[in-house]
Amino acid sequence: MNIVACFKLVPEEQDIIVNGDRTLNLEKATPKISLYDLNAVEAATELAAAMPDSKVSALSVGGKILENSKARKDILSRGPDALYAVIDPALESALPRETAAALAAAVGKIGSYDLIICGEGSGDLYAQQVGLLLGSLLSVPVINEVSKITAGDGKVTVERTLETEVEVLEVPLPAVVCVTADINTPKIPSMKAILAAGKKPITVWSVTDIGASTGGAPVVMQSILAPAQADRKKVIVEGDSDDKVAAFVESLRKVL
Amino acid sequence: MSKIWVFSDMASRYPELLAAAASLGGDVNALVIGTDSAKAFSYGATTVTQLPADESRMIEDYVPTIAKCVTASGTPAVVLISATKRGKAVAAKLGIALNAGVINDASSVKGGDGVTATHMVFGGLAVGTETVKSAVAVITMGSGAFEPLPEDAARKGDVVTADFVPPPVSIKCLERRAKQNSSSVDIGKARRIVSIGRGLKAQEDLAMVRDLASALDAEVGCSRPIAEGENWLERERYVGVTGVQVKADLYVALGISGQIQHMVGANGAKTIFAVNKDKNAPIFQYADFGLVGDIYKVVPAMTALLRK
Ligand SMILES: Cc1cc2nc3c(=O)[nH]c(=O)nc-3n(C[C@H](O)[C@H](O)[C@H](O)COP(=O)(O)OP(=O)(O)OC[C@H]3O[C@@H](n4cnc5c(N)ncnc54)[C@H](O)[C@@H]3O)c2cc1C
Ligand SMILES: Nc1ncnc2c1ncn2[C@@H]1O[C@H](COP(=O)(O)O)[C@@H](O)[C@H]1O
Repeated sequence: MNIVACFKLVPEEQDIIVNGDRTLNLEKATPKISLYDLNAVEAATELAAAMPDSKVSALSVGGKILENSKARKDILSRGPDALYAVIDPALESALPRETAAALAAAVGKIGSYDLIICGEGSGDLYAQQVGLLLGSLLSVPVINEVSKITAGDGKVTVERTLETEVEVLEVPLPAVVCVTADINTPKIPSMKAILAAGKKPITVWSVTDIGASTGGAPVVMQSILAPAQADRKKVIVEGDSDDKVAAFVESLRKVL
Repeated sequence: MSKIWVFSDMASRYPELLAAAASLGGDVNALVIGTDSAKAFSYGATTVTQLPADESRMIEDYVPTIAKCVTASGTPAVVLISATKRGKAVAAKLGIALNAGVINDASSVKGGDGVTATHMVFGGLAVGTETVKSAVAVITMGSGAFEPLPEDAARKGDVVTADFVPPPVSIKCLERRAKQNSSSVDIGKARRIVSIGRGLKAQEDLAMVRDLASALDAEVGCSRPIAEGENWLERERYVGVTGVQVKADLYVALGISGQIQHMVGANGAKTIFAVNKDKNAPIFQYADFGLVGDIYKVVPAMTALLRK
C-alpha cells in the first residue's frame, strides 16, 4: 500500500512572544512537527507495518520553515520512507485552500497513492479543513474524525468518532482520511531510527515544479491578535497547611 | 444583499445558527432534513428548504443537494453551519463544490464587503480575523457565539422541498452505534466547575474531585489529556480551545498546569481558583486565588471545610 502522510511544520508555541500591541512575534520560535500530525504519521507507519510491500511518504508544503534540517530528520525518524517538501514563498502563510491545492498537485507529482492521512488540525491555524479539501479536490472519498483504520483489499474500514455516535465506514481506495489525536500514541523515535533518518531520500519542489496555481485565495487573514488578558487578582498562597487551606476556602465561600 | 442559509446535523443547534444568520440581515433560509419546519420558523427562518430524509444516508451525502440549492438562488451567499464534526466535513465539501472560502469554529461573524469571522489560532494564543472574498462564504459557528432569538411559535414562512442529488462518491456506513463514555452534560452552561488535570494519578481518585464538586454544587470538568488519552472523563467535559469554553461564575482548577490551550476555555469564568504543587505553574498567572499545594491533601480538606 502506498501511503502519504501530510504534516505541517509550525512554530513552537512556547517560544511565541506576544508583543505590546497584541501581535505575535514568531522570530524566536523553533519549527516543530504540528502536534496532531504526529498521530497522522504514526497511523501511516502502523498501517504500513501491517501491510506487506507498503511505502510511506511524508509530505509537507510551506515556506522557509521546511528548510529546517532538524525538523526534516525528526519526521523521517518517525517511520516514513521518504520526505517530499514543496517550498515556495507563495506558500509562506498559505490558508487551507491554497495549501490543499498545493498538496493535491504534489500528490499528483509523487505518483500513485492508495491512502492519504492527515491530522485533525494544524497547531497554528487549526482550520480543520486541509485534509477534507484535499480529498474533495482529488475527487476521492474523504472522511474526518477517524479514530481507527483497518486495511482491507482495495478499501479501508474506519471508525469515525462523532459527538455522540461512532460510525463504522467502508472507504474505497484511493481515499483521504483525517485522523483524531486519540487514534494512537506516537512513539518516540529510537536512536537507530534517528540515525537511519539521515539516509532517507528528501525531494524538494517549488510551486512551479508541481504545476500548482497560487492566487485567487478565497479567504484572506486580516489580523492575528492575542486576546486582551482578563484581569485576575492573583492572590497566591504557598503551602497546604490547615490554616492556609482554611483561608483559601474562606475566599471560595465569598464568591458562592 | 447576501442570501443566507443555515444547516445543522443537530436539531438543537438551529436556534443559535438562526440568530447568527439574522445578525447578518436579510432573509434566512433554513435547510432541514425531514419535514419539521415549525421549529426553524419559530426561531427566525423566513424560508425552510426541506431535504428528503433517509436513514441510510450520511449527512455528508447532502452536500450536492445543498450546493444545488445555494447555486440556484444566486450569490452573494453565506452558508452558516454548526461547528460539529459532521458540520465541518459538510463545510469543507461545500467549499470545493461552491468554490467558497471556509472558516471553521467562528466565534463571531459580520457581514459587509465579504463575510468576516474570527477563529482561534496558535492554540488559543491569538484570534485570527479572516475575510471571505469568494461569492459564497461557508462558516461553521462555534456553540455559544450567539444567543438564540426568543421563540415565537406564531411565526410562519415559505416551505420549499429539494430533490436529493446523489453524491459522486459515496462512503458505505456499515454500522452506527452510540458512543460509550459520552454524556449530554453541557459544562458550557454550568455556573460552577471543578476541573481536574494530569495532577490526578489514577481514575479512582476522581471520587475526591467529585466530592468537592458536590460540596460546591458544581459540575466536573477537566483538561484535554484527562478526557482524551486517559479517557477518564467524557469528551464533553474537557475545557479549552478544542473543548468547551466556559462561562461559569466559579472555576476551580486542580492539578492543571494552565497551558494557553486550556486557559482559553477557562478564561470566560468570572473567578478562577487554582491548586497546583508547582508554584511556577502558568495557571497561577490566570488565577484570582491560588494555593501552592498537593491536591491529594488540599482537595479532601476543602471538601470537609465546605461541608461543615
Ligand atoms: C492545537 C492544540 C489544542 C489543544 N487543546 C486543548 C484543550 O482544548 N484543552 C486542554 O486542556 N488542552 C488542550 N491542549 C493540550 C495542552 O497544550 C496541554 O497539554 C494540556 O492542557 C495539559 O493538561 P494538564 O494541565 O492537565 O497537564 P500537565 O500540563 O501535565 O499539568 C499537570 C499539572 O499538575 C500539577 N500536579 C501534579 N501532581 C500534582 C499534585 N499532586 N497536586 C497538585 N498539582 C499537581 C503539575 O505541577 C502540573 O502543573 C491542546 C494542544 C494543542 C497543540
Ligand atoms: N502545509 C501543510 N503541509 C502538509 N500538510 C498540511 C499542511 N497544512 C495542513 N496539513 C494537513 O492537514 C491537516 C489539517 O490542517 P488544518 O486544516 O490547517 O487544520 C493537518 O493536520 C495536516 O495533516
